[in-house]
Amino acid sequence: MQRIVNRFFGFRASFTLIVFIALLVFFGIFSADRSFFKVAHLTALARLAPDLGIVALGVGLLMIAGEFDLSVASTIPLSSFVFTKLLGWGSPLIICLFVTFIAGMLVGFLNGMMVTKTKLPSFIVTLGTMLFWRGLIFAASRMMPIGIRAWLDFGSWLEKMLVGSLFGVVPVQILWFLFFAIILGVLLHFHRFGNWVFVTGDNVTAARAMGVNTDGVKIACYVILGFLCSFMGVMQNIRIESFTANQGVGFELKAIASAVVGGTALMGGIGSIPGIFLGTLTIQIIENGLILMGAPAFGISAFIGAAIIIFAVLNVAAARVSGK
Amino acid sequence: MSDQKSAVDGKTAGAGGKSTPLVKMVNIHKSFGKVNALRDINFHVDHAEIVGLVGDNGAGKSTLIKIVSGFHRADKGEIFYEGEKVNINTPKDAKRLGIETVYQEQALAPHVSIARNVFMGREPTKGLGFMDRKKMDEESMGTLTKLGLRIKDPEAVVEALSGGQRQGVAIARVLYFEAKLVILDEPTIALSVKESQQVLDFTQQLKAQGISVIFITHNIFHVFQVAERFFILSHGEALTDVKKEDTNIDHLIELIVSGRKEKK
Repeated sequence: MQRIVNRFFGFRASFTLIVFIALLVFFGIFSADRSFFKVAHLTALARLAPDLGIVALGVGLLMIAGEFDLSVASTIPLSSFVFTKLLGWGSPLIICLFVTFIAGMLVGFLNGMMVTKTKLPSFIVTLGTMLFWRGLIFAASRMMPIGIRAWLDFGSWLEKMLVGSLFGVVPVQILWFLFFAIILGVLLHFHRFGNWVFVTGDNVTAARAMGVNTDGVKIACYVILGFLCSFMGVMQNIRIESFTANQGVGFELKAIASAVVGGTALMGGIGSIPGIFLGTLTIQIIENGLILMGAPAFGISAFIGAAIIIFAVLNVAAARVSGK
Repeated sequence: MSDQKSAVDGKTAGAGGKSTPLVKMVNIHKSFGKVNALRDINFHVDHAEIVGLVGDNGAGKSTLIKIVSGFHRADKGEIFYEGEKVNINTPKDAKRLGIETVYQEQALAPHVSIARNVFMGREPTKGLGFMDRKKMDEESMGTLTKLGLRIKDPEAVVEALSGGQRQGVAIARVLYFEAKLVILDEPTIALSVKESQQVLDFTQQLKAQGISVIFITHNIFHVFQVAERFFILSHGEALTDVKKEDTNIDHLIELIVSGRKEKK
């Protein structure tokens, strides 16, 4: 029994899981008219939460490897812009998608190269690239939204694939979120690459001494994140039927918050994909639940902020309980 | 030639037979800019022998070890491995020969499990790069048992272990990957008396497995118990190279304190 308890708290997001369930019960009871568990709300949650979640998976993976990426806030609109432009030029959908993914991965690759070659803190490097790309996008778009309906027919395969619903009820976005979580979870926890990610973030000197290509691991994580940002950029673009210059604004910190709530350490070496998945959902249900309870929508960030600090404290406590 | 005994050994290099040392370094010189880090050093390690490499900070211990483990290249001198002249230009060359260094603290990832630490960078896979976690768990526990270290849970994180147990995990790693010569760099520096004793026991276990050990320390008391031979460095020069039966701890301390060579 003691062993099971230890194992449970050894999972750093164990408190997050407890609080997540408690929050579900709490909002279920106290939201006006029990609206929290109504189908309309749940489908809205399943459609919107994956925007943050898909990015948070990549941000969390990178944090476990010991690095940050603030430039996700620009990779997202950049991908959306590239996708929109390609559509406007009449490229086939598959090409639009493919080129956009390449662009996102390229942005990630450049971040990774700069961080590993300059050996500067990634916080600084990606703050720089975030502002750089944002400036370019603002200039190129003159900050005007660009609708895509003129070029994308209703009911195209791409629309069904990225923003449709399964059986007319389940939004595909949540399935994509699950899909990426499973792929990355298997990669991080069962593949040798995952072990390299952990040891690179935990003790980069030791990892290098044991022959792990730590720079390569970090660059790979940046590229994975770049891909996830471009995927999410396109997904959001099609949902809102346009490119807007402020897509992704604030996501850089919200994604870090999701990862931290899910038990990821800011210093690297600790974290899990199930934790990050849960962390994202927790942040989203706090936001939605409070609004459904009638909290002032513009003041929500105060609650989110408090939640982040509380979870960070709880996760450290969980680690202490398990003696790990 | 400063040390008569080493000079004689130098001439018999490559002679073969049972008395051939595992590793032998002859007339090693190394300087960094104007600083002579090592001057004319003759050093060898026999098969399954524990050598105490002793000297104050800055004596040249690390430089000597970094040459044999491929991190530095000697300006002058030769290295023989089982009687054959070898070039050790990179850490990989040294590893290929079975020369492994265990660095204090730098070696382990504290928040990662024992099994994952032992196999760091060399994870056994079941194909497509997926880790064979059962094998990792079993083999890491088996190797720790060989060292006389019993830990129940291979999934326990290294941070939860004592200092002595951590050294055990680091040593288990090189043991599993079939090291011939293990270099322990100040393995007892941050440990309690009891934990230090544990590390000394590991050293004996390595010898019992036929592995040679170079035990680096600036504290002669830590190594006197286990080492069979003592090699004392001071300011880049060898003060003595003496077997345990030909010396005693007072004599060694006197040498280290005076920093002068033995008069013979």
